[in-house]
Amino acid sequence: MDSDGASEILARLRDVLRESAVEEHDWDAVVAETPIESLGFDSLTILDVLYDVEEEFGIALDPKQVVKTRTIGEIIALLQQNGA
Amino acid sequence: MLHLLEYWAARLALFGVDLLPPTAASRWAAALGSLWWTADRPRRRVAISNVLRAGVAGNARQARAIGRGAARHMGMVLVESMKSALVLDDPERLRVDIPDDVAAVLEDPDRGLIVVSGHFGNWEIAGQWLSRYKPVAGISRPMNNPRVQKLALERRQRRAFRMIPKYDPDPGRFLKLLGDGEILALLVDQHARQGIDAPFFGHPAKTHTTAAMLHLVARTPLTFAVCRRTAPMTFELTLSPLIEQQRSGDRNADVEAIVRTLNSLLEEAIRRDPEQYLWGHRRWR
Repeated sequence: MDSDGASEILARLRDVLRESAVEEHDWDAVVAETPIESLGFDSLTILDVLYDVEEEFGIALDPKQVVKTRTIGEIIALLQQNGA
Repeated sequence: MLHLLEYWAARLALFGVDLLPPTAASRWAAALGSLWWTADRPRRRVAISNVLRAGVAGNARQARAIGRGAARHMGMVLVESMKSALVLDDPERLRVDIPDDVAAVLEDPDRGLIVVSGHFGNWEIAGQWLSRYKPVAGISRPMNNPRVQKLALERRQRRAFRMIPKYDPDPGRFLKLLGDGEILALLVDQHARQGIDAPFFGHPAKTHTTAAMLHLVARTPLTFAVCRRTAPMTFELTLSPLIEQQRSGDRNADVEAIVRTLNSLLEEAIRRDPEQYLWGHRRWR
């Protein structure tokens, strides 16, 4: 993983989460190792975030791949694989 | 105490259902629905108010007639759902109209499908029939009465149709089942506290957005189902052509466009057969 690229993606992800998520969270504390399940999404709010992430990065993610991710770092890797 | 009364009323209804042939059982359930209409004053008032607000009745007398018809209908829905085997395998009792684009999705085991409907006609028959193609997961809120809930679950025919809870800690569960080529069946006409305001019979109603968001994010095909009763234990199931919404980048606008379409399809069905709709729910709050 390109660490500079990953850092930039992480910063943009934090911005998207801050804007999209209705859950209360310290989004600045989100790091690559943060488990997604700790962010408090439910089956509806996760869709809002995914829509906004795809728009932010201008890519379409495969939902089958998305549901396999467990951490923010894995989401970043998925975004990079898709050209982010 | 009320739960116990409801439970014994349900048991009584089932006793009649088991003794009688299907059409007579359906009439028996309709009579019990009518009795319920007479007994449940708060629900009756909500139903009459809703019918009038929707503009499907010209005056209070007509609204009461539609409300009573709807109560009879809901009694029949319960019986039909429990005797559904008689309907599902008999083309004389279930006429089905599926557009080619939806049929192509149903016949492709790798493609998921979102099927939306409302509490209109017999939505359970629709879900059970569709499960001949692929597994169907219907989202349900547990009934207020756990005794009746248990009884209902024991008695309904299931095939590959299963109910999943509305709330679940796994945020990816809908994406997973659609990714596995299953059908997700949703009823979108109950008050949605976290939904968006969308017109329903011209009045803003908080409406669920899950189906719309799944279509936009998972890019899963979306269709609207109407299963109307044409005679006792006889139905016509119609699926709409696929509803397609291109993403504009404005999430709220995209969701609203889909939700408006879904509400409008439901309104169309209700206007045709207003006595086949669940009017007793407080849709506008």
